[in-house]
Amino acid sequence: MNNEPIHVLLADDDENDRNFFVTAFSELKIKTVIHVVKDGIELMEHLAQDGIKLPHVIFLDLNMPRKTGMECLNEIKKIQHLKDISIAIYSTSASEQDIEDTFVKGANVYIKKPSSFATLKKILKEVITLNWQYHTSGLNRDNFLLSL
Amino acid sequence: MKLTGVIKNTSLLKIIFIGSFFIVFFISSISYKHSITLSNSTDWVVHTYQVHLQLEQLISYLKDAETGHRGYLITHDSLFLRPYKGSWIKINETYHSLQELIKDNPLQQKHLDSIYHFMAVRYSYLSSNLQLDSNIAANHYRIDMNMEVGREIMERIRYEINYMIALENEYLIARQKKYENETIFNPLFTLLLMLFCLVVFAFSYIRINKSLYILKKSNQDLMVATESFKHAEEIGSFGSWQWDLEKKTFTYSDNQYRLFGCEPQSYQPTTENFIGFVHPDDRHLIPSNPLHIKSEDRITLFFFRIIRKDGEVRYIKSISKLLVDASGKELIIGINSDVTDLHQSSQALEEKNEELERTNKELASFNYVASHDLQEPLRKIQTFISIIAEKDGETMTEMTKGYFAKIEKAALRMRVLIDDLLLFSRTNRAEQAFEETNLNGLLENSLQELAQIIEEKKATIQAAQLPTLNVIPFQIQQLFINLIGNALKYKKRDVLPHIQIGYEMVAATSYPFLKAEKHIKYCKITIQDNGMGFDQQQAKNIFILFHRLHHISEYPGTGIGLSICKKIVENHGGFIIAESTSGVGAIFTIFLPLV
Amino acid sequence: MRIYIKFEINKTCKKILEDQLQKLGLEYSLISFGEVDLKSNITSKQIQEINTGLQNYGIEIIESPKNILIQKIKDTVIEMVYMDEKLPTFKTSTYLAEKLNHRYGYISKMFSEITFTSIENYIILQKIERAKELITITELTFTEIAWQLNFSSMAHFSNQFKSTTGLTPSAFQRIMQRKKENILEEK
Repeated sequence: MNNEPIHVLLADDDENDRNFFVTAFSELKIKTVIHVVKDGIELMEHLAQDGIKLPHVIFLDLNMPRKTGMECLNEIKKIQHLKDISIAIYSTSASEQDIEDTFVKGANVYIKKPSSFATLKKILKEVITLNWQYHTSGLNRDNFLLSL
Repeated sequence: MKLTGVIKNTSLLKIIFIGSFFIVFFISSISYKHSITLSNSTDWVVHTYQVHLQLEQLISYLKDAETGHRGYLITHDSLFLRPYKGSWIKINETYHSLQELIKDNPLQQKHLDSIYHFMAVRYSYLSSNLQLDSNIAANHYRIDMNMEVGREIMERIRYEINYMIALENEYLIARQKKYENETIFNPLFTLLLMLFCLVVFAFSYIRINKSLYILKKSNQDLMVATESFKHAEEIGSFGSWQWDLEKKTFTYSDNQYRLFGCEPQSYQPTTENFIGFVHPDDRHLIPSNPLHIKSEDRITLFFFRIIRKDGEVRYIKSISKLLVDASGKELIIGINSDVTDLHQSSQALEEKNEELERTNKELASFNYVASHDLQEPLRKIQTFISIIAEKDGETMTEMTKGYFAKIEKAALRMRVLIDDLLLFSRTNRAEQAFEETNLNGLLENSLQELAQIIEEKKATIQAAQLPTLNVIPFQIQQLFINLIGNALKYKKRDVLPHIQIGYEMVAATSYPFLKAEKHIKYCKITIQDNGMGFDQQQAKNIFILFHRLHHISEYPGTGIGLSICKKIVENHGGFIIAESTSGVGAIFTIFLPLV
Repeated sequence: MRIYIKFEINKTCKKILEDQLQKLGLEYSLISFGEVDLKSNITSKQIQEINTGLQNYGIEIIESPKNILIQKIKDTVIEMVYMDEKLPTFKTSTYLAEKLNHRYGYISKMFSEITFTSIENYIILQKIERAKELITITELTFTEIAWQLNFSSMAHFSNQFKSTTGLTPSAFQRIMQRKKENILEEK
């Protein structure tokens, strides 16, 4: 893969989930830089900073205090320099309706938080790999939809 | 019905009357004409006889003259000359009266004139005879000669007279014949017409009588109806009123007064008096202008409260309608009914309904929140277990490992239960909108969802063309997934699963349990498999929530899947039934209402 | 407004490559897609320059022969999947081995080593990408798409589509349709 590390941003209000997430990435053999925020407001503030390295993927929990994942998604898609970042929804609930709605709003990946750590690792790896494929193998990013 | 018969009869009677009138008039005029003809023909008979008589007289005067003249010639007694002398004057008189009689007949006149001429000639001979003295022999011969000529003339006259009489008789016969021709049909014709009139009168009499009978009966019926309407008003606690828009007057039925707690006809029905009874808060609801009701064109309905004479508040429903009668008179008719009981019970029902709805909503949201929020901690428990198993699995004792495996299994089962419960709570009708959807598309989606299992189990699926229906798409898709998934899950061990999906449109009357429903036609979808099936006695139980036919170790499951199916079908106003013979396969039949 | 574009990635890349090389005044000839023969030796500084010029377009110079092989494998797969006609029915392993002049076992091992995915997975990924394109751009039915891409059955196609994307073909189509409508509404 690329020598450059993959930049990942996670917004999740649940501490356990953040820990699972960071640990899972640390155990993957992929060079990643993980940045974690606790809610939507923090996320948008982080993205608004000047000169930061934009993430390749943003993982968004839907159910967050202050600003929900959906609100963040809508905002990000309206900001010119952010709208091309891949968005992975990272949520507990997953009704077919929810999944379709977030895809329509511009999310690329919908992850239903798995109940096993091994699965989590597998999923995260898949997302990163596929995202990388879309970035490098000339695939049509408009068709980038993945539900896990 | 009967009254219209009467009305029809009256117009028929009018026609009959006018017809009869003209017929009688016609008969009378014909009879009059015939009487006139009769008197005319009598005159003609008299006329003929008069002509006859006068002509006879004429000849008898001539004979008198001749006889006298002959007597004188023989006797020379001047006494014999007396009739001769007067006869010429008489002949002239008769001639003139005859002339008068036949003045319209030129032929007869001609004859009469020649008779007169011959008579005059005869007289001239007679008078010349008288002048010749019979005693002279020469004269004797002349007289004889004259007598001879006179006899010939006399013959001629008689001939002419006879001819005239014969002619007159001929006229008489012709006239009589004509008269007979004219009058021979008269009595028969009159008789026939009279008879016809009699028939018409008899017919009219019967019809009038019959109409009268119907009218009487209708009247009686009307009386009964009015009476029963009065009773109905009392029993049904409603009152009727009429509002004459021209005269601007009201008419109330007895019960209309009672409805307001008053004695019948105890006050003047006016708008003001009426408004007086209406609850002050509801007065604005009463249309103040009759135009309001008129413009509505159809039935107007409004509700209001009244305060009765005894102070009790009652709820009134008022229905009114504009009525225009045949003469264009406008009338508003209305019914006021006391709906207090109905109002109170419907209000109670409404409250109950609201409460039920609230409870249902609470239950649904409880269901959703519970299952959703339960997922969160459960997932964490599972994740932590998996981390521990992964990291410290090797250092664990066999016993601990076993316990961990058990915890993991239990947690997994709980997860499946919660997921299914969430799915069940999502099949809430209120949240979903009905859409006109092609069921073939939904079936294809379902098959795509099940693609992995279908491929794994090498199942074949044969589906008929399905219709387009007004459904909640997501739910019907779920229904297909659950039923087909079920068929795949309970397959026979050594037989490849084959699933047949059939469709037909059926009439509700063909199925006893559909007969009582409000829909006429149903869309019947069958899902038939060749799986292990179940005991038909269990057919109803399998739809019960958490009900399972198999031990959990044989076939894992929550017993929610078919309950979801039942709920979905019921959301759509349909029915689902299961039939099976153990070991042969099962058929699930869904009935969804079409019309 | 938004317009929908179909582009041929090969042509685009070739054009960009030619432009960049011409800009630096280098003599070259394109051997095949992804392979350039330079007439003279160039310095590492020049290589750096070409690299920076191309990086904006997501194109980079692959140095190791392994990487070149991988790129060739990928190119062959893409070429195969994006044929206008129905996909060839012969075995892809044989096809790749012939085309690249290596044993399939070697090719497959190299691919897995470098990309962390198997060639089979990569082919499936590309086939599914192609399927996505056919779903969104053409009006072919799923059955027709499954047939064109050599899937043995509808169930097989749906299954692979779902295991690759997590979505059924219908769901994917529905989402793309709604996205399109959404965009049109916003404009």
